[in-house]
Formats: sequence, C-alpha cells, structure tokens
Amino acid sequence: MKIGFIGLGIMGRPMALNLVKGGHAVTVWTRRAESMRPLLDAGASAAASPAALARVVDVAISMVADAPDVEQVMLGEQGVVAAHKPGLVAVDMSTILPAAARDIAARLHAQGVDFLDAPVSGGEIGAIAATLSIMVGGSEAAFAKARPAFDCMGQNIVHVGDRGAGQVAKAANQIVTGVGVLTVAEALNFAAKNGVDPAKVREALLGGFAYSKILENHGQRMLDRNFKPGFKSWMHQKDMNIVMQSAHELGLCLPVSAVTAQMFNAMVGTGLGEEDSIAVLKLLERLSGGED
Amino acid sequence: MVGPRLGFIGLGAMGRPMAGHLLAGGYSLAVWARRQATAQPLVEAGATLCATPAELARRSDIVFTMVTTGADVEQVLFGPEGLGEGLAPGALLIDMSTIAPGHARRLATRLTAQGVDMLDAPVSGGAAGAGAATLAIMVGGQSTALERARPLFNRLGKTLVHVGDHGAGQVAKACNQVVMVGFIAAVAEALHLAQAAGADPARVCQALAGGSAGSRVLEVFGGRMAARDFTAGVEARLHHKDYAILMGEAQRLGVPLPVSGQVWQQLNALMAKGGGSDDTSSLLRVLEGHDRGAR
Repeated sequence: MKIGFIGLGIMGRPMALNLVKGGHAVTVWTRRAESMRPLLDAGASAAASPAALARVVDVAISMVADAPDVEQVMLGEQGVVAAHKPGLVAVDMSTILPAAARDIAARLHAQGVDFLDAPVSGGEIGAIAATLSIMVGGSEAAFAKARPAFDCMGQNIVHVGDRGAGQVAKAANQIVTGVGVLTVAEALNFAAKNGVDPAKVREALLGGFAYSKILENHGQRMLDRNFKPGFKSWMHQKDMNIVMQSAHELGLCLPVSAVTAQMFNAMVGTGLGEEDSIAVLKLLERLSGGED
Repeated sequence: MVGPRLGFIGLGAMGRPMAGHLLAGGYSLAVWARRQATAQPLVEAGATLCATPAELARRSDIVFTMVTTGADVEQVLFGPEGLGEGLAPGALLIDMSTIAPGHARRLATRLTAQGVDMLDAPVSGGAAGAGAATLAIMVGGQSTALERARPLFNRLGKTLVHVGDHGAGQVAKACNQVVMVGFIAAVAEALHLAQAAGADPARVCQALAGGSAGSRVLEVFGGRMAARDFTAGVEARLHHKDYAILMGEAQRLGVPLPVSGQVWQQLNALMAKGGGSDDTSSLLRVLEGHDRGAR
C-alpha cells in the first residue's frame, strides 16, 4: 500500500520506519527537511508538501504536536485536502481534543476525504518495537483500509467507535496513566518517609490488587531515580488539559483528574517539564520537606 | 449634553443599569442590542438606538462593551458591521466583560494598530453592585486612557484600581473569581456539614460572621443557602465559564491551583444537574446530591 507520513518526531520517526519495514511504499513530509533524512536512507520518498504527499498515497498519516498542527497539515492551503487522490483515508495519530478531531473529520468529509482519529499509547519504546496500542475512531470502511498500516505499528488495535471515539479513549487512557503515576509516586514516597524501603513495598504490592503496569515499570524507574523521558511531563500536562477541557464542556465532575492536572502544572512551572512524568515523585518529595 | 459621546453594547443584567448610570450623568449615549427590545428602557430614558455596532462606533468617542464571552467581544468588535469598522483614530474602547487575559491583549494590539485605545475593565459586585453603582472595577491598559475614562468609571463603581498594562484587569478578575467562588464552595461545605450534624445553617452563618471566617461571601451566599433561595444572583454558568479561563491560564503558565481545580469540578457537577441558571450558592445542592445517591 502507498502510505504518507507527516511528522517525524520521537514517535513519528520509528512508526514510519516500521511502515517501511513492513514493505509499504512510504512517502514522508516534515516542516524541517533534515528530519526526513533517516526515512529517506531507509527507502522512503520525500514530498514537497502535505498536498503533494496526498496526491500519491492511499492513506495519509499525521503524527504532530497539537490540534492546530493537525488542522494545518490536513486542511491548510498546502494541506492534504488541497490535492488528494480519490478515496484517500486521512489518519491522525496525534493526541488532540475529541471535539477538535470531530471538527476536522467533518471538514475533511465535506471535501470527500474519510478520516480516522487514531491516537496511540505505549511511548517511544512501543513506537520502536511496533507494540503501540492504537485507539481508532471513524468509519468501518476507513478502518479496514488503514488496518494494514496499523498492523505495522502496533499490537492492540481497537476500533472504539465513530469520529472522535479514538481521542475519547486516549483521554481516558491519560486519566488512568496520569492518576496512576501520581498514585504510585505517593505510595513510594509514603513508604520512604515512614522509614520503610520503598523497593520492598513495591515488591509486596506487585502481588496484590495494587498491581499495575505502572507500579511495575514506572515504580521501578522511580526507585532507580531514572527520570529520563519516556513520556515528558509537559506532554502529559497537555493531555490532562484535554481531559479537563472536555469535562468542562460536558459538565463532568473529575475531582481526581483535576488534582493530577494541577500536579502536572506544578511540574511544568518548576522546571520538571522536560523530565519523565515519574518526576512527579520529586515534586511530592519537595512538598513533603525533602530534597531531590 | 456634556463631555465625550458614549456608546454601550451589552444591555444584560449588568450592562443595563450601568448604561443607565452613564445616561443619568448627562452624557449622550448610543446603544445597540441584538434584540432591540432590550434597549427599549434606555431609549425611553433618552439613549439613541443604533442599527449596527459600526454605526454606534461612528457616533461615539468612548465605547463600552459588557457581553458574556471573549467570542462575543470579538464578534461585536470585528464581526460584520462591527465596532472596528466605525471606531475613529483617537477613540477609546472599554471592555468590561470577563474574558481571557491573553485575548484582551490581542484585542488591544489589534485596536492600537488602528489608532484606537483599549482598556480591559472587568468588574466584581454582580447585578446588585451594578444597580447601586458600587462595582469594583479592575483596569488594564494605559494610564492616559484610564484618566480619560475615570469620570465615567466613577459613575459605575466605588473601587477603581489600575492594575497594570493590557490584560492586567482580566488577570485581577480571574484572581477575584478564584477567591470568590472558592469561598462559595467552602461556605457550601460548611453549611452542609452543619445541617448533617443537626445545627441550623442560618445560626451557624450568624455565628461565623463574627469571627475569622467572616466574609462577604459568607454573608450573601451563605444567607442564600440558609434561606434556600437559589434563584440568581449570579448565574452559576457564568462562574463556570470564568473557571475555564482561569484554569486555562494556570495550565498555560504551569501554575498549580489544586483547590480551584476541585471547585471547577463542583461547578461541572452543578452544570450537569442543570443548575447553570441558578445562583452559585446551589453548589450546596451538589453536595446534598451526593447524599441522595447514598441513600
């Protein structure tokens, strides 16, 4: 299949490479031309614009920072919509507001382009290993068409529902992971301040109902004090903002998410934004009278 | 007629009495409203009704806007037949709505480019304060513009503070909402506790008023809660709207507001139960709703 890929950052680059490895004809475009180099070396072709890319592919994927970027590459003057192959399916794998995804889907649909929102979970490690969870919203037909591309990038691929449903699932995912990281950090800090070895506490908890992947993986990295990202705090802050904005629009009470969002605000404000979200442990230690 | 020619847009619960005070001060006043009927009482009192915001701007030296959202301000300023088409260089626009500080700054930049001054001047004090001309007015913008508007502000409010440059008035208003609605939520919790523990909320309010917990919110909103009078007052949907603004600022700046984050969720819950048009004192009923669920 001919696949276009827009946005070759920490996540996008390995995802696009996995499409090349999967035997697809991949065309790429990024704002900074030098970012395309590793893909071109691997056998991908370069396009001069998202529009030029859309002219030659069956599926056009974007993996960018936020909704305005998605709008730009999909609906801008030189965007996918400007000159697309008939039957093109546009897929956005960025994490954006569900309402924004629905809006972009409707505007693309009006121009004859089918759209899927397909955000991912699993981080850089999952992107490299092609083990991402992919949460998809959109039509059955578009999902079927893009499926071979998803299969090259991820493992747990779920067609959640109609337009925006993928982003809703991703927001729900960020609630659980955001609150989860904060909870594990609180538990380990609680143990340490009580003079108990947090490593032993983690080990004990792993066997019971407190078991989770976050306790296992993030908990271990907290014990190792390995705050290298992973998933940067400022990105989790952005995602929690999406959650809280959606809650505001719908009249949803999310008290626990609200606290978590504020903790991420504090991390960004105190210079922890570039560290992994597990650095929330440092924030808790400071608030509890300790030092980094 | 004396002084500058004035224009006023946004004749709701706040705007109408404010425009009335300006008119009573002897100024020439032009008004515009989406629904003409809204303007009728002022027209009868001597104001001139304009067909469009642009027309109002053409015949005014100083224009006030008092609308609900940033999008509304944008619309009357730069929408079709908007104020922007009629404001002459040297005119002054005073936006007294509550909008995001960043939005106020952007509007000021755009108006400055066409030689028009702007002040952001949101208020606190509610419809009662607007009626009694006792509003607290928080101003952002240039001192020269403020001095030009001072006699007009004096007709609308009692406290006038020049907080800083463009947007600073809106920052102060956001802070005002943090304190005010946070207090309302705290009073609701206190009276909910009082009730559950078998104490008369009105008596508790009275007792607290004399001590360190005394505040205007306790007096006004606590009073409404004790009397179970939840008719607006301040429509809760407006406070809900303001929380999107202030929590957005917190996010943008990386400033944690853990308590406000919780208050925001209580407002969301109030909206969910259809209480947006009630007074914000009905946060008490959100707490009581938890009990009903438990029974």
